[in-house]
Amino acid sequence: MADWSMEELLGWDKEICSLGKSLNLDWYPIEYEICDYKEMMGHMAYTGLPTHYRHWSYGKSFDRIQTEYNLGMSGLPYEMIINSNPSISYLMTENPMATHILTMAHCVGHSDFFKNNRMFSETGADTVIDKFKSAGKRVRKYMEDPNIGIDKVESILDSCHTIRYQVPRTPGLKRRNHKQLKEYYQSLILNDSNGSWNNFDINKIPLEPDTNLLAFIAKHDRYLEEWERDLITIVEQESLYFIPQACTKIMNEGWACMMHEKIVNSLDIPDNYFLSFIRLHNQVVRPHLGRINPYHLGFKIFKYIEKNQGFEECLRARETHSDETFIKTYLNEELCKELNLFTYSFNRREGYNKIIDVAGKESWQRVRDDLIKSVGLNSIPVVIVKELRKDGTLILEHEHDGRDLELSEANKVFEHINRLWHGEVRFTTVIEDETWEF
Amino acid sequence: MSVFKEHKTIADRAASDRSRHRHKIEKAIKESIKDVVAEESIIGQSGKKKIRIPVKGIKEHRFVYGVNENNKQVGSAQGKEVKEGQRIGHRRRRQPEDGEGNNPGNAPGEEMYEIEMSLEELAGYLFSDLDLPELEKKNFKFTTQEKMKRKGKRPYGIRPRLSKKDTIKQKIKRKKAAVKAGSYDPESGDRFAFHESDLRYKHIAPVIKTNTAAVVFFVMDVSGSMDSSKKFLARSFFFLLYQFLNHKYSTINVVFVSHTAEAHEVNEEQFFTQVPNGGTLVSTGLKKVEEIIDKRYHPNNWNIYTFYCGDGDNWAIDNQESLSAFKRLKEINQAMCYTEIGKLQGHREYSLFTGTGGTPERRLWDWTISIEDKDFKRVRLKESKDIWPAFKKLFGGRT
Repeated sequence: MADWSMEELLGWDKEICSLGKSLNLDWYPIEYEICDYKEMMGHMAYTGLPTHYRHWSYGKSFDRIQTEYNLGMSGLPYEMIINSNPSISYLMTENPMATHILTMAHCVGHSDFFKNNRMFSETGADTVIDKFKSAGKRVRKYMEDPNIGIDKVESILDSCHTIRYQVPRTPGLKRRNHKQLKEYYQSLILNDSNGSWNNFDINKIPLEPDTNLLAFIAKHDRYLEEWERDLITIVEQESLYFIPQACTKIMNEGWACMMHEKIVNSLDIPDNYFLSFIRLHNQVVRPHLGRINPYHLGFKIFKYIEKNQGFEECLRARETHSDETFIKTYLNEELCKELNLFTYSFNRREGYNKIIDVAGKESWQRVRDDLIKSVGLNSIPVVIVKELRKDGTLILEHEHDGRDLELSEANKVFEHINRLWHGEVRFTTVIEDETWEF
Repeated sequence: MSVFKEHKTIADRAASDRSRHRHKIEKAIKESIKDVVAEESIIGQSGKKKIRIPVKGIKEHRFVYGVNENNKQVGSAQGKEVKEGQRIGHRRRRQPEDGEGNNPGNAPGEEMYEIEMSLEELAGYLFSDLDLPELEKKNFKFTTQEKMKRKGKRPYGIRPRLSKKDTIKQKIKRKKAAVKAGSYDPESGDRFAFHESDLRYKHIAPVIKTNTAAVVFFVMDVSGSMDSSKKFLARSFFFLLYQFLNHKYSTINVVFVSHTAEAHEVNEEQFFTQVPNGGTLVSTGLKKVEEIIDKRYHPNNWNIYTFYCGDGDNWAIDNQESLSAFKRLKEINQAMCYTEIGKLQGHREYSLFTGTGGTPERRLWDWTISIEDKDFKRVRLKESKDIWPAFKKLFGGRT
């Protein structure tokens, strides 16, 4: 049985909060929900959101989490927190008090990050829960509508999910609609003094290559039913909400780990709690051999900043950076070497993963740049809408950056895009230095 | 200060999505079974035999980068010695490329389910898709037989069917009631006599019993032109037919007849492994079937199915003969099927002179078209994926 009581939780929370304040942290109020492991698995399966819409894929991930947990292949996370105001977090009844203390301190770190990091400024933390609730309700309504039904809804969602990450990666940029873009380009042409805009086709759609596939389809496909358009928008909105989290995974976790370490170290906790805290902490921030543990990497970098530039710089970094710029700015030769970072890739001929570069005097920048290529959404290919022809043909293009697409997967996704778009779809990429059309 | 909420949800929120997912997996199982069927070799095996069926998980697709030299990953090896060019991890096979994806479980992240089921269950799965009511009308005959069976007791009847036990029971009942009502005193020593209303007779009524025995004849051409890959197809198709009929009938007999220029009844093993030789006279095989039916399986008691399988290479002089044998058999069969394996060879191969006096030779495929109807079907198998559609054509399921 649990070794803690509600009073204890409240007591520790009070101390954690006052320590957080003294570190100059500024976070949303946190709402802890105490749940059992089964509910925890439910929250995990539905990306933490208590009001998420339903789709079979979440049932699938629930089953997987449950199987892995039951087989002892993986434990359940200690913490899970939602970027909302108030921040919702879950505490598992089965966990001991020491774990709860660490979790609560950790959550303060996350919530502070959500509130302050610039990437999150447009995620709408105040309204997100209601937004998802309303979306969930609408999805349910469509499923129950006898004229639509669950199969049709799932089929649209299936297709949307295949391109759910094909959304802009820079949060904070306002999406201008076609009319605004047209006005903008018209003013450019009108004020053109040196003729560089002479060959510009003002009637082209889109005027700029569009990286938001879902939004483009929802906006420009005239044959979509209203409910289909709504579903596409729901998926797009959810992606946009999660993009900042994907872009700051390393920082966010590193920050939270540093905060829980600081807070717990200054808490006057009993020895037996402290021992289990140390054990847990080390488990979380340990390096994973041959892989990157975001908790470890983020924690290391923040500690390094604190050591060399002071805590003030840490606070500034957590406000202004994303993983990409964070690594570029702070991951230096010394850190690369200490972490012993290396790059590897799969060698087809030999059938092995082969190490390419190990961080050294000359190579550390290459390693760092390759790391940047794989953080956040950089590991997901960019596909843009090039043109919408008058006959309704949609021209898509993969922005090739040296990495080829996995064709078998891309073919499947292409089928799904065809299902969504009422009209012809053309899609090109580069495979082994040659243009490839699907 | 934070807020703590202890909140109990009664509803399992993932329940319906989980069941949707399982539903999808079941569908995938059905798809996979069709592939498995083409590969199993188990006619006449007991229904208890377990077979393993690999099922691909329901995958959600995304744009991803291919695993190759250009897709570099970063790892850390704190406190470990690593150098350039070093191999790490386990050897992996190259991922299957599009179109050659027959290596389940090879690509990373691919989820595989392996399901073990008995042949009976498998048959149940397979045939649940088919339009059974329609099909029963068409191809099933249940011969009936009248039989007397006991059917309870009644208060009248003939003397020999008197049930003493039940009569006594009635009397005891009446006696107890009388004691309770006070009309009879058990202490008095008076005899409590039988009454006519106590008498009970066994009742016997005729019931109609359906006879659901079937016999299946598999006739195959084992002449030189039937190579092992053709036989393999035939075997798969026969397997499916056997399983299906086995699913429908309470008892089922299987007779294997192989023929070249003469026909023999053989056992299953010989049927599929016999070394091919000799010429081809289809009619001999069919006549053998007629002979066996005459001897052992009277059409009034048995549902007879005959499935012929060959590659259509019949000696020209035999075609007329075969056709009339097919016609005769059709009369007494529930369903018949003429299966030809391999590509349709068209009319190119006219022989200049044939036994029938100079008319161009027609292949058996063309001959049999004249008698094709709902009880006699022609199907053509080119590869294992033709098997399932052929089966559906034969038994009229939805496609």
